[in-house]
Amino acid sequence: MTMKMQKLAQSILKLADTARRDLEVYTVRHKSLQVEVSDGEVETLREAQATGVGVRVIDGGRLGLAFTTRLDEGSLRDTIRLATDNAQSATPDEYNTLPSPKPVKDMDLLDPAMAQIPVDTKIQLARDVEKAARAYDPRVTKVRQAAYGDAVYEVGISNSRGLSVGYEGAYCSTSLLVVAEAEGQAEVGWSYDLSRSFDKLDPTKVGREAAAKAVEMLGAGTLTTCRVPILLAPDVAADFLDVLGPALTAEAVQKGKSLFAGKLGERVGSTQLNVMDSGLLPQGLATAPVDDEGVPSQDTMLLDQGILQTYLYNSYSAARDGVESTGNGVRASFRGALSSGPRNIHIQPGNRSQSELLGEISRGLLVTNVMGMHTANPISGEFSVGASGLWIEGGKPIRPVRGVAIAGNLIDFLKHIVAVGSDLRFFGSVGSPSLLVEGITISGE
Amino acid sequence: MQIGRDELAAILAVASKRGSDYADIFIEEAHTAQVFCEQNRIERVTAGIDAGAGIRVIVGETTAYAYTNDLSLKGLKEAAEVAAAAARGQAARPSINLCRRQSSFELPIMTRPETVAVTDKVQVVEKANQAARKADPKVRQVTVSYRDIAQKVVIANSAGGWVEDERIRTNLSVIVIAMEDDRIQTGYESLGGIIGFELFEQNDPAEMAIKAARRAVRMLGARPAPAGRMPVVIAGEAGGTMVHEACGHGLEADLVQKGISVYAGKLGQEVASPLISVVDDATLPGKFGSFRFDDEGTEGQRTVLIENGVLVGYLYDYLTSRKGKVASTGNGRRESYQHKPIPRMTNTFILPGKDDPQAIIRETDRGLLVTRMGGGQVNTANGDFVFEVSDGYLISGGEIGEPVRGATLTGNGPKALALVDRVGGDLGFAIGLCGKDGQGAPVSDAQPTIRIPELVVGGIMEEDEA
Repeated sequence: MTMKMQKLAQSILKLADTARRDLEVYTVRHKSLQVEVSDGEVETLREAQATGVGVRVIDGGRLGLAFTTRLDEGSLRDTIRLATDNAQSATPDEYNTLPSPKPVKDMDLLDPAMAQIPVDTKIQLARDVEKAARAYDPRVTKVRQAAYGDAVYEVGISNSRGLSVGYEGAYCSTSLLVVAEAEGQAEVGWSYDLSRSFDKLDPTKVGREAAAKAVEMLGAGTLTTCRVPILLAPDVAADFLDVLGPALTAEAVQKGKSLFAGKLGERVGSTQLNVMDSGLLPQGLATAPVDDEGVPSQDTMLLDQGILQTYLYNSYSAARDGVESTGNGVRASFRGALSSGPRNIHIQPGNRSQSELLGEISRGLLVTNVMGMHTANPISGEFSVGASGLWIEGGKPIRPVRGVAIAGNLIDFLKHIVAVGSDLRFFGSVGSPSLLVEGITISGE
Repeated sequence: MQIGRDELAAILAVASKRGSDYADIFIEEAHTAQVFCEQNRIERVTAGIDAGAGIRVIVGETTAYAYTNDLSLKGLKEAAEVAAAAARGQAARPSINLCRRQSSFELPIMTRPETVAVTDKVQVVEKANQAARKADPKVRQVTVSYRDIAQKVVIANSAGGWVEDERIRTNLSVIVIAMEDDRIQTGYESLGGIIGFELFEQNDPAEMAIKAARRAVRMLGARPAPAGRMPVVIAGEAGGTMVHEACGHGLEADLVQKGISVYAGKLGQEVASPLISVVDDATLPGKFGSFRFDDEGTEGQRTVLIENGVLVGYLYDYLTSRKGKVASTGNGRRESYQHKPIPRMTNTFILPGKDDPQAIIRETDRGLLVTRMGGGQVNTANGDFVFEVSDGYLISGGEIGEPVRGATLTGNGPKALALVDRVGGDLGFAIGLCGKDGQGAPVSDAQPTIRIPELVVGGIMEEDEA
């Protein structure tokens, strides 16, 4: 079945003169709902529908882009003309190319129930999240926006090489941030869940987890500067993986921006470390039949027992290296350029639970939160982030710690992973289990 | 956009038809142009239009929000219906009498970017690219990104407020990658403001690119930052990330009213050293965070937040000002028509003091000198913050020593600001894109040279210390 966005992309492509140049049309429409609840009352209810069109022109190897939210024929013609004109100012690059059509698998990413569920049921879910957090402990004093959100989206991609695809999907999520207070100290805890089906969201679990995180930090003190084993909770470990993602693209390697340049087939991480990127992962947020330029999705093993297997390719970087795209052409939105990046990137789970890993630490830090992760440098690999968590002695959490920092280089970090937990969890499209790492400096008093 | 007074009133009437305490409409048409250079070539040129409208209906404590790309009167009325239905109001229907407001100050634009040929924009980018590449043989990659945006807005509300405005912003950023053996380092510089193409008459793109290149090369030879607590001097040229994180966010009224700020309930109290005064000012010509009207149609203003160490004000949008029974300070901002307004900073800075910046360094026996800050983050509930040092040096015996790399500084907002013991007479701005609740907002921050006697430096322990 050809869907509306695919038809729209096809019809826009027909407006263009593709005899003398290559042209791609990307169309997206989404319908979203967002609910924020505070003290049981609806604070914000946002409903929206938006459509966007992105046009990419390759003219003699020159790349021009334009976008619009206006769908009348005149505006669409203007957008095509703008992209064509823009290409004239770019430098030719022989590797600029559009993908040819390939067979695409159908995927079921749309839970039809999502659109049928009444808004009141969704509001109630946000209320339940808040209630679960407050019921967890009387020291939970404030809730900042217990939220529920969902989106139904449809994408169409058509290009002058004859490629034409479309797909639709939906997801829903819930999150909240709570404050726990005791003895004049305030600590926050946060939790989140995302699913492609409404029934799988667990408001009680999300509410209790945020509350537990805030409460366990009450009474936090600092540490003296030391170097001890650290155990990263899955969300913190996923933050680290998220920084590494761009460095694993061939685009970064080709441009001299990657720590992994020239290291194919070499050991770049601990033997415990297996990293997979997947565009096919069941229920994954970044799962789709194709990437953002219409290349079929696939699974790509990046690190196998610490050994670098391949980089992530879009059509451009693949043409440059003389290989096939791995389906990692991504764009931030219809407004953006087609770049490359991971899809559902994750560290594969090991076989020991977080508490088993904790049990092995005689003195160390369980890191449950980091601050300033966006300042980590994916090019140099250097990171220095604020950290908080629980001090471990004799395999047990002894006291909460905040106001310290952890720093190092991501390459050393990957090599110093000594154990990988079994508790793989996804945060958006990035997933990780708990990671036990040695040799990292904790800066404190 | 051909939407006049009568149409706006009609749309607001639909939004309020089931009753509302307040309704507003924000119509936007944003034209963007971008030039991106990497690998010593112009990789791509982009342009586009993003147009849409957001309609908000407030009933009691509930905000309903709907947005659409369809700017026909029919499309706007449909969005207004959605917002009205979501608000479920039972309040009275306001009578709407729109009165167009004019700004009392100007933010002049000399050369509108759409009047500048793409080739001239390309030339600015190439100038920066070539300067960075020539600066040092260790430079391996240069990324230059030029962007201009002309955002036309029409804002009207049920209280009669109506403004039409345009914000033109132009900016240029450079990332330089230097390499030696298998070490890679980066240098970043950016400039921009609510300004047209005259930005490049006032600032030389080549000079900025060379600065970024030299930093990347210098960091190749830098040692890892030390770890632990020490005195820190933050130079005026370093930008203003610290004040943005250490107190700016905690003074946004939404966080204060929810009690998720360490500064809640502290008006009139001492929250910083008496040497510290902090101001947010949207009226500064040419600065990145400036505007004539905020995204709710309230005029931009200068707001004193901390005066000689005493907390005197918060940053308000319409909703928080109503709740706080004060006037909005004109800090209601939104990323686009897709977002509801929330209290945000504009241009935020610590006022200059009396000390000689050089003397502050000279009179510091040992510690860290920060000459450029990168990004940062804060936990507003407890006041803990971090910021990145992208250019730093050890201070030893009052002298500037070796460069250090890879450090983040960690502190607690009120504690760090209370400890400040020296404030210089200089002031240096840096621009940034501030993120909050998933919305980005252009801001600038600044501070004079200051000294904080103790902050935690997130560095690396020497092997023999471990």
